[in-house]
Parts: sequence; structure tokens; C-alpha cells
Amino acid sequence: MLILKTLQWGEQHGYGISQAIRATSGEVLQVETGSLYPALHRLERQGWVTAEWKQSESNQRAKFYKITSLGKKQLASDYERWGKMVATIEGIMTAERGDA
Amino acid sequence: MSLFRFFRRKTELKEEIDSHLNMATADRVARGESPEAARRAAVREFGNVPLVADVTRERWGWLRLERLTQDVRFAVRQLRRTPAFTITVLVTLALGIGANAAIFTLVNSVLLKNLPVVDPKMLVHVGNDGHDCCVGTINPRDNGEYSNFPTETYKQLKKNVPEFEQLAAMQAGFTYRPVIARRDGAQTVARSVMGEFVSGNYFETFGLRPSVGRLLMDADDVSGAAPTAVISYEAWQHQFAGDASIVGSTFWINTKPVTVVGVAPRGFYGDRMTNTPPDFYMPIESMPELANVTYVHEPGTEWLYIIGRVKPGVSMGQLQEKVNAVLRQAFSTQDGFSTEDGKKQLQKVHATLTPGGAGIQTLQEDYGSHLHLLMWVSGLVLLIACANIANLLLVRGMGRRTEMSLRSALGAMRGRIVRQLLTESVLLAGMGGLLGLAVAYAGTRMLLVLAFPGDQSVPIHAAPSPEVIGFAFALSLVTGTLFGVAPAWISAQAKPAEALRTGARTTASGTSLLQRSLVVLQAALSLVLLVAAGLFSQSLNKLQNSDLKLDVRNRYIVHINPQAAGYVQTQLDALYRTMEDRFKALPGVVKVGISAYTPMEDNNWSNGMGIQGHPEVHGLASIVRASPEYFDSVGTKVVMGRGIDVHDTSTSPPVAVVNQTFVKHFFKGENPIGRRIGSPHAPGDFEVVGVVEDTTYTDVRWADHSMYFLPLMQRPPSDKSPIEQDMSLYAGAIVIETTRPMNDMEKLAQKTLADINPNLTVAKFQTFNEQIADRFTEERMTARLTMLFGALALLLATIGLYGVTAYSVEQRTPEIGIRMALGAERSGVVAMVMRSALIQTGLGLAIGVPVALLSVRYIKTLLYEITSADTQVMAGAILTLAAAACVAGIIPARRAASIDPAKALRAE
Repeated sequence: MLILKTLQWGEQHGYGISQAIRATSGEVLQVETGSLYPALHRLERQGWVTAEWKQSESNQRAKFYKITSLGKKQLASDYERWGKMVATIEGIMTAERGDA
Repeated sequence: MSLFRFFRRKTELKEEIDSHLNMATADRVARGESPEAARRAAVREFGNVPLVADVTRERWGWLRLERLTQDVRFAVRQLRRTPAFTITVLVTLALGIGANAAIFTLVNSVLLKNLPVVDPKMLVHVGNDGHDCCVGTINPRDNGEYSNFPTETYKQLKKNVPEFEQLAAMQAGFTYRPVIARRDGAQTVARSVMGEFVSGNYFETFGLRPSVGRLLMDADDVSGAAPTAVISYEAWQHQFAGDASIVGSTFWINTKPVTVVGVAPRGFYGDRMTNTPPDFYMPIESMPELANVTYVHEPGTEWLYIIGRVKPGVSMGQLQEKVNAVLRQAFSTQDGFSTEDGKKQLQKVHATLTPGGAGIQTLQEDYGSHLHLLMWVSGLVLLIACANIANLLLVRGMGRRTEMSLRSALGAMRGRIVRQLLTESVLLAGMGGLLGLAVAYAGTRMLLVLAFPGDQSVPIHAAPSPEVIGFAFALSLVTGTLFGVAPAWISAQAKPAEALRTGARTTASGTSLLQRSLVVLQAALSLVLLVAAGLFSQSLNKLQNSDLKLDVRNRYIVHINPQAAGYVQTQLDALYRTMEDRFKALPGVVKVGISAYTPMEDNNWSNGMGIQGHPEVHGLASIVRASPEYFDSVGTKVVMGRGIDVHDTSTSPPVAVVNQTFVKHFFKGENPIGRRIGSPHAPGDFEVVGVVEDTTYTDVRWADHSMYFLPLMQRPPSDKSPIEQDMSLYAGAIVIETTRPMNDMEKLAQKTLADINPNLTVAKFQTFNEQIADRFTEERMTARLTMLFGALALLLATIGLYGVTAYSVEQRTPEIGIRMALGAERSGVVAMVMRSALIQTGLGLAIGVPVALLSVRYIKTLLYEITSADTQVMAGAILTLAAAACVAGIIPARRAASIDPAKALRAE
């Protein structure tokens, strides 16, 4: 979900994605490369992102990932589910004991 | 995803990770780190590059294949690192699988192969015995079983059983009655070849098409039709170089003109597997003229095999009933079945319908039991081979326990390790299978030579068929997985920490129970095979050394066929004298005997006997018509009275010479000289003038063989039929005794006979020794092969025992070092190692001896005059095995004794 969200801001390569997640989360979330690349390749296989080789800002050839419309839909539904889950957890966490 | 894309993506992934690292490094450099430090930090941050790549690739679903290639590559590397192990395993497998595939090729082509005809499954053989041969009289039989029929019976079956789409008949004993064939023309030579008389619908029944011209038709098979023949493809190619003008040309068959109308299809070798397939197929109705035989139309003489093609959907049970009913009807008019007793016997008359797709199974019946035995034997060898390989792999697996522990400590998955080991064994098995095929090919050739010596015309090919290749590979794969699982499983049980910690300090548990049981099993199995080999050799030895009461030194047997050469009975007396004179005139020739047939050949004529004055005595005796010098020429000794001499002519009083068994059986041992014998109806036809020793005829196993001998041209006075109908006057063989071995005897015989008459050809030429050796072909094959397999088994078992002992010595090196440091004698160490090797062998013997003793009963029928494993064979097998065990034990034992205690202990 985070990867898809990052890609919503524009196409990006793997390194860029990991940097972006790290930066936007205020260095709280560090995406392990060991999960990032498998995840990217899985997303690609599921058709939620596409990839092509381009020159990066630093003139480095890199594989850029772009979110597809299918990916956007998935992101939306994932985000909705996430919201529901957060709300549910929040509800449980803040619930008062109902008995006397 | 294609493999190509897979590899492209693999490079792309590498590039992607590289670019990641490059960018990360660049960022760090931009922040002021040194390039080297930046790179190191980037890589550290990235983590385990290959692992990430692995996990990522796993998302593609291609990792299995990748792992497989890795495993295979690794396995090849591992196998190359230990060539001794690899070669031992491969040789073991190649021999084990090769031997099995070779035997299976032979079994497949002899026992399972169908005739090369259309839809062989629909063919039915009326009868079940390819040895119910060749020309005989329809008489009641105790079992009521018939496989050989008169022409008349065949015609009735054909007419009255419409369930047969086609019903064909064929001469049962054509191999015993070669024809003399010569192509019309000036430069042609007459040759004695095989010719088979068949019904007109013979080829149609098999659904065959001609190579050239046409095949026989019903119109050819009518009395009075111009004689026609179809030539076999083989003969057409080899004798006449595929000359198409042969169709329509005239051949002189048994001196009578016959038109060849066509060539049989390629690969068709007739209705049965034989080493002498027919060159010519001729219609039954032309036989009386061409072969000058009277029995073709005798309703009481059986001489035909019958094969039919049934219509689809016919119930075999009903068909069987119907065939039997027609047979009983046909037989009911025969003399033998018209008496009170005969009528009862008639109810038992039947012919068992058997699958006819493989044709008449004479050869199959001959070789079946031996081939099945060989299959068992080679199966045992394969079992030993597998045990051996399992053992070698176990030893190797154990040796690599530390390596495995290290690998699993480094994070290798247990499943992966097992898979790796399995890959290794399956790879080995696959390579072994390939080598096995090569061995199988060579082995089958060898088996064919052993099974059918001197015959290239057996329609069996050494090339393994697809079935055999499939069989070999299935076998090797099953073996591979089988012997791969155990070591893999054991290795996978290794607990890394424990294995790494304890290192190599083990004592007696150096070899597992499984390993030792395998060695015991091998020892037991090879003992059984050694005993079998011993028994078969002993049996062959007994057969070959049995006293046949004949003399083979410088004796040559020339088979002839004066009848086929056009001689009529009235010309025979003169012919025989001419042959005697001409052969006697050859330098070096001492004696010339002429007879109907000779000792130890595949031939026999039996008659029912009567003794004058003793109507209560009856029985069968074999008859041989012989010339005056015949007894001397084969080495039969006259023990009483006289032999046949030159004064016994067609006009002198009829006399007979009998053998000792005849005297025992028919005269109760009394002096027979002067008594009279004959057929049951005319017991006074011949006066007995002499007694000869029991020379062995036909088969060594034929004990108590009553025989009588008549002068060549003397007919029974009671027989009033014209001489022209007396087939028994035709001689079949000339026996020549020379002063020295003469290698050119065959040429001389051909020339001498051709000088008398160009149509008088040599039907078969052999030395007396060769003729006798031919009678032991199957026994020799079995003895040699069991010997071969026994040796193979022994070799494998020895390797197995050696492997286990050597391994245990290696494992126990530190222990032995300590023992020796504490003062153990070298001899004590040797004894210790030898003891364990010998205990395993001893256990193998303890199991093997009773098993071997039990197995003897299953092979008893294949043995000659041997009913149990005698002490000689048993002791021989045990000693051989014990000696092999000592060899296998002494090498590692000496190595153990040479361990330097200081070195062994320091090595830890």
C-alpha cells in the first residue's frame, strides 16, 4: 500500500521508493530492500504497477515503476480497508468496560 | 514465460539492484562520504544481495527450475570430485541395468513378440502345443488334447465354424522336411532350403500384402492346379538380390516345376519363430506331387497346425465348444475311436484355443522356462546392484554429514538438502541407465549368439526396442529414487550442532544397521546365485559328459534328402550303393554309414511293437534303418550276435538288430537272438540277429529308450502296399568316419553328391561333435549366463563389503589410534576389522544357504540328474564367497593396522 501510495506521486525507481517512504515517514519506517524488491515484482505480476527502464536524475539507468489504473483502484480499496481497520482497533482501544 | 525471457529478466534484476546500489552510493558520496565507504555502507544497508535476488525471483515462480539446474550442476561437480565412487556406481548400475535390459530384450522378442501381421490380437491358435508334431496318426490320447490335425479335419472346421473370418492351416513339421530348390536356367545350383505347405488363405488370414507379384490364393490350393509358390522376402533379397523378374519364373522344387507368383512382405518370417524360416510357401494341394507324400489326404493322419482369425465379438467360450464338437465329429470315423473304449475317449477330444498373435510357439515353449529363470537371476543381480549403490551412497552420505551439518547451519533448508542428494542419485541413475543401454545392446548380441549359436536367421534383433529403452530407464529411475531416499533421509536427520561438535569420534556405530543388513543381504543373494551357477554348470557337465556310447572322433554327418532329389523307392538301393562306393573312394575315409537318422539329432521315428508268441508284451520302440557300416561309423558296439551286414538285402530274409533296453523291456532280459519281432498286427516280420549297446538318440534325457535297427531296404513281409508308398525307405543321413580331421569334408561331400546327381544336395553338414553340442544349446546358455550373473553378483557383493568395511575403518580411525596408543597389537586390529567383515558374510551365508537349498526345487526341472544342491556345489559357493569376503576385508584391515596412533590422535 505504501509503495502504491508513493507511486501515486509519480513514477519512481526502487531506490527512490525506499528513500521516499523513509523521508515521508520521518525516518520512522525503513523499507527493507529484502521486502521492497520482492513486493515490487509481485505488484508488477499482479498488474498493479508497470515498469520501464529510464535514465534517472543522476543519469543512472534505472527501472522506473508506474502505478496502473488497476493499481489505483487497489490502493483505494486497500486504503479504505486500512481506515476501517484503524477505526476498529481505535474503537477497541478506547472502549470503556461496560460492566459495573 | 519463456526461458529466454527468464534469463533476460534475471540480468535485468541484477541491473536493477546494481542501479539501486549505485544511486545509494551516489547519495552518500554527495553527503560527503568517501566512495569506498559509501559503497560499503550502501551494500550493508541493502542487505544480502543474492538472497534478495533469490526471494524476488521466487515471485516469478521460476525458482524450481533454477534450483534444479543448480542442483544438477552441483551434483555433477560433486560426482566429479569423487571419480572412484562415481565410476563404481556407474559400472554397477550399467551392469545391473544392462543385464536386465538384455534379458528383457530377449524375453520381449522371444516370448512377448507378435507376428508381423495385421491385427494379431484377433488370431487364435487351435491348439496349445507347438511340439505336437509332425506327422502322426489320430489315436485316442489320455488327456484328449490335440494341436495337430488331418487336412480333412481342417476342412470341416473351416466349413462348420463360421465364427472364424478366416481359418488357415500350415505344415507342422516343415523344418524336418527341407525341399530342394533350383531356379530354372543353365547356371543355377540346387539348394536344400525350407519350404512350408500352407492353405490358400494363409496370407489372407494374416492380412498380408505382397512385396512384389501376388500371394497365394484359394485358387492355387486346389487339386490339379498348376503348382505355385511364394518366396520369402529374405530369400528373395539374399539368394536372388531382389531381382523382380523372379515373379512368374519357374523354379524346380524337388525336381518338379513350380511358378513363383510373388514375394512375401518384408519382415514376415512365417507362422512361428524358428532359426530356419521358410524360403518358399506352397499350397497344401501341391504337396502330394511336390513332396511325394501320401498323408495329405489321409483322414487319419495329423500334420497341420491351424490358426484362425475370429470375427469381432465372438465369445471364446462358445467358440471353444463349437471347435471341440466339430473335432469329435471329425475324429469319430477314425479306427482308434470306433471301438467301445475309443467312443469313451472321443468325449475327451478337444483342442485348446490359445492366442495366435505370436503364431505357433514352439521356440517360446523351448526357451520359456530358461528365460524366466534368467529374468529372476538378473533381477537378483539388479537387487544386489541396488543394495550396493544404496550402500555406497550411504557411506558417502555419512562421510558428508559434516558438510551437510555445515550447510544447514549456514541456513540451507532441510528439504533442499534432501532434494540435492536425490538429484545426485537420480542423475547417477540416469547416466547408469544410458550406460546400461549400451551394455544391454552388447549383452543382447551376446545372448543371441549364446542362445542360437551359428544362426543369423533367427528373426530376433539385438537392438533394444522402445519398450526395452523405456524399461531400462524406468528401472534406473526407480532404482535412483529408491537408493537415493535412504541416504538423503538419514543425512537430513543430522542435527547440525551435534554433528559438528562430536566430529568424528565414534566407535562401533561407524556403520549403520541398514548398511550392514544390505551387506548381509548381498552376501545371501550372491550365495544363492553362486549355488545356481554351480548347479547349472554341474548339470551341463553331466549332460556333456554322459556316456552316449558312441564315438565322435573324425566323424562327419551329412544330411541328405533323396526323396526331394526326385528318387523313387525302386532307385534307392542302387543310390545307397553308389553313395557308399563314392564316399569310400575319397582318400582318408574309413567307414561310410547310411541311415534314416543319427544319434543325438532332433529326430525320432517310433512304432508300436509286437513280439511273436507274446501278445501280452507291447510298447513303443524307435526304428532306425541303417546300412552295414552304420554301427561302426557312429561307434555303436555289437554286444551279441551280429550287426547288419552286406548280405541283408531287399531279397534276403528280413532281420532286425535291437538295443539292450529293447531286450530288457520286450524280452525281459532273455536272449533275443532268433526270436521274431514286428508290428502288433504282424509280430513275426523280422528275426532278431543281434544286440547293440544303448547309444543315445534324440536326447540325453531319454532314458530307457527301446530301439531296433533294420537293413535299409528290407520291408516287412506283412506289408503288401506298393513299395512306392513306403516313406521309411528314404535315408536321411550319411555318417563318414575319416582317419584324420578333414576341414574340407563339407566341400567334398557336396561335390561327391552333386557328381551322383546335381539335385542331391547337402541338407545340413556338421561334425558329429557339433551335432551333439547343438542338443545342449539351452543348457549351455543357462549355465554360462548363471555363471556370468553369479560372478557379477559376487563382484558386486565384494565391492559392497569392501565399501562398508573401508568406511567403518575410516570412521574409527581415531578410536583405532587410541586403541593402538594404549597398546593394541596390529594383528589385533586386523582381527577386529576382519571379524566384523566375516560376521556379516557369515550372516549372509546363514540366510543364503537355506534359501539356496529351497530354491533348488524351483529349478529342478531344468537340471539333469540333479535333485538337490550337493555338498560339492555348496562348499564351492561358500568357499568362493568366503574368499571374496577375505579379500574385501583384508584391504581395509591392513589400512587400519597401518594407522599411526600419533597422527590419528593429532588429527582431531
